[in-house]
Amino acid sequence: MDTSSLPASHAHHWASRLPYAALALFVLLIGALIWLTRVHDEDSQRHTLISDVLWMEQSLQFQLDRNAAQLAQLGPELVVSDIAPQTDARLRQMLRAENGLTRVIWLDGAGNILGVLPPLSEAPAGNDDLGLQAIIDPDLSRLSRTIGRPVYGPVYPAAGGGHQFEVHIPAYSDSGLLGISVGVYSLEGLLARELPWWFTEKYRVSVTDSEGNEITARSRVAPLSDTHSYTMPFDPPGHGLMLQITAYKGDIRWIPVILMSSILALAIILLWSFWQLRLQLKRRLAAEQALRGETLFRKAMEDSLLTGLRARDLAGRITYVNPAFCNMVGFSAQELIGLRPPMPYWHPDHIERLQEIHDMILSGQGPRAGVEVKLRRKNGEDIDALIFEAPLIDASGRQTGWMGSIMDITERKRARELARQQDDRLQATSRLITMGEMASTLAHELNQPLAAISTYNSGCLNLLEEGYIDPLELREIHEKIARQAYRAAAIIHRVHDFVRRSEPKRERIALNDVVREAIELMDADARKRQMRIVLQLAPGMPPLTADPVMIEQLVVNLVRNGMDAVAGLPGERRVITVTTQEKNGNLILRVTDRGPGIDADHAKRLFEPFFSTKQEGMGMGLNICRSIAELHHGRLAFEAGAEGGAVFVLTLPVEMETNPA
Amino acid sequence: MNTPCAHIVDDDEAIRDALQWLLKTRKMPCTTWASAEEFLDAIGPDWAGCVVLDIRMEGMSGLECFDVLRARGNTLPVIFITGHGDVPMAVAALKNGAHDFIEKPFNDGDLIAVIQRAMEINAEHRQAQSASQAVSERLTLLTTREREVMALILEGKYNKVIADELNISMRTVEAHRSRIFEKMSVRSAVELAQMLKGVSL
Repeated sequence: MDTSSLPASHAHHWASRLPYAALALFVLLIGALIWLTRVHDEDSQRHTLISDVLWMEQSLQFQLDRNAAQLAQLGPELVVSDIAPQTDARLRQMLRAENGLTRVIWLDGAGNILGVLPPLSEAPAGNDDLGLQAIIDPDLSRLSRTIGRPVYGPVYPAAGGGHQFEVHIPAYSDSGLLGISVGVYSLEGLLARELPWWFTEKYRVSVTDSEGNEITARSRVAPLSDTHSYTMPFDPPGHGLMLQITAYKGDIRWIPVILMSSILALAIILLWSFWQLRLQLKRRLAAEQALRGETLFRKAMEDSLLTGLRARDLAGRITYVNPAFCNMVGFSAQELIGLRPPMPYWHPDHIERLQEIHDMILSGQGPRAGVEVKLRRKNGEDIDALIFEAPLIDASGRQTGWMGSIMDITERKRARELARQQDDRLQATSRLITMGEMASTLAHELNQPLAAISTYNSGCLNLLEEGYIDPLELREIHEKIARQAYRAAAIIHRVHDFVRRSEPKRERIALNDVVREAIELMDADARKRQMRIVLQLAPGMPPLTADPVMIEQLVVNLVRNGMDAVAGLPGERRVITVTTQEKNGNLILRVTDRGPGIDADHAKRLFEPFFSTKQEGMGMGLNICRSIAELHHGRLAFEAGAEGGAVFVLTLPVEMETNPA
Repeated sequence: MNTPCAHIVDDDEAIRDALQWLLKTRKMPCTTWASAEEFLDAIGPDWAGCVVLDIRMEGMSGLECFDVLRARGNTLPVIFITGHGDVPMAVAALKNGAHDFIEKPFNDGDLIAVIQRAMEINAEHRQAQSASQAVSERLTLLTTREREVMALILEGKYNKVIADELNISMRTVEAHRSRIFEKMSVRSAVELAQMLKGVSL
């Protein structure tokens, strides 16, 4: 593993963790926000509760104090025997429901009841004095008398149900205590009257005694909030009374709820989409991985291919090469990509043909079966390659160029060439053997009648010497001799028949074309042996009536002889020149080599059958050549070359005299 | 068929006929055979003369025929007739004991000379063979004791020494000696030794 990628992956690691951290932070913040909002809400609710409670307490206190003050003011006027009407009116005014007072009782200094308003008969339960007496707590009167200030009494259950408490207010004159006025409050009434509607809507108000028992309550049927509750002493009247205010579960406050729920919903959506994104990312990552794997596989495949691959765009520029191709031609991919023809790996001797093939391929007429070309490696080695071209189609179905697969067939070709040569040699050998066989058979067959003839002849001579001659016997013997002579002639005839089967065909041919074809056959061999064949063909020569195959064979034989003659000589002498010309109604073909030439002894025997200067030669080549020339009524001759080589001159008449046979 | 003659074996009728004609003009006896097989079927151990064998024949070749003859212990001289290309084969046959070879077409004089020489050799050979056969026949007449005595005589020992070695009397040795000489129809020990030269006892 490459160490340089480590920090990068580390950073990547961090970066990939960041969204998660942000997400966690976001969730945390949202949570905190909701909590804070809630806390704030609670606070403000509690605050409202407390201020409402305080207000209520103030308002109750104020009401009680006002009542006490009025009673204190009215006191002196009450304790007289007769109450003035205006006093009575004020008293009645005081006893209005909203003041919470249910009854006012006034006592003299000794504690005797002087009057009651409303009178007792108006009392809800209709109790008598005894009951009234019972409710007046003398201790309270005494206490208020003593301290000279209003004193509140404890709560007690009223006769008609409900609870009451009293306030005793001493009334003084300038001369001293006049009496005491007592205000009786109905606890329920007080709470009912004194608390405004909106307060009771919001809160449950209850009064508990010092033991915590609930005495009365102002409440509706509604669930109570368990957190918003406030308890405070109810003083006055005191005596351990407690006011407990509990908020009802407030109406759902829609705006923050909507706000919060939308935040929550958004957060959930965000999380969900984040999750989806993550899934998507995972899928994409997997797809990417798969794609990368596939790409790597393909790349590996391309790289490990032994077949060269080369892509070209429509203009013929190289756009891609695989390593096998680079190996094949010896150029690197950087050197090749972007090149236009002629390519540097084209064989210099075949540039025209390669250009032709290239143009053909680009015009879409490339051979489907592949084309064999000659290339040259960067280091100068020649290679034979087989190229298959196919159109390169992109994903949208449009052709973007050409894809070529190139196979190196140099070795294969070389092997084929070698095999061919071996085959040739084998054939030559077998031909040689066949010829030997044929010659031997022929010799034996001819020998038989000849031996018989000579033997008969010897016998006749013996008889002649002896002087004994029987004409009949002699005649018989001579008939036998004649039969043997015919037998020999028949053998000769058979051979002649056999030879006649290879008579030349007569066609109108152009000598130059035949020469070119023959040289084409030799071309590969000549190049391999690093020899040059120079053609100097005279233009506008008349056509010839001849067997093209035989003439081609003749030219091939002569050129091959020339090539054998110059083999192993320095480069500038490895040249075979083939010239044609017309002269006096004859076509003349010369094959000139610059080899060592042929000495006079050999030159004389050149055209003899079975004469050869070569190790493996069977001595038939030139003999056959001459036979071909003669079959066409021409001549084959040898001359010493001007520059020391050999020149073979073939002369063929344009118009062959008609064969008499 | 034990009169000496030249046996001509050739599958070519014309050659056979011509050779027969030629030998007839020279007054030489001959018989012809159209194939090696035919000849081998007919030949007996007492045949005399020579064999003229064509090397190249249909069926069994001359060389094979020669091998068969030699395998049978036949000592008739064999002359091969060869074409131009068969000379190396003929030379090889010569090394194996063939008498000679002649090339086609034949030189009349050579052919006759070769055949005559072969027949002479065969005659000599047959003569020598008949002589040694006579000796063998005489040897069979001797008794075991006579053979022992003769072996000692051939070693050149005197009668006295022989008598000592064989623990017999001089007279007995002398009697054996005269009987041996009589049976072998010789008059002296030297003659006896000459006769028995080359004969294993």
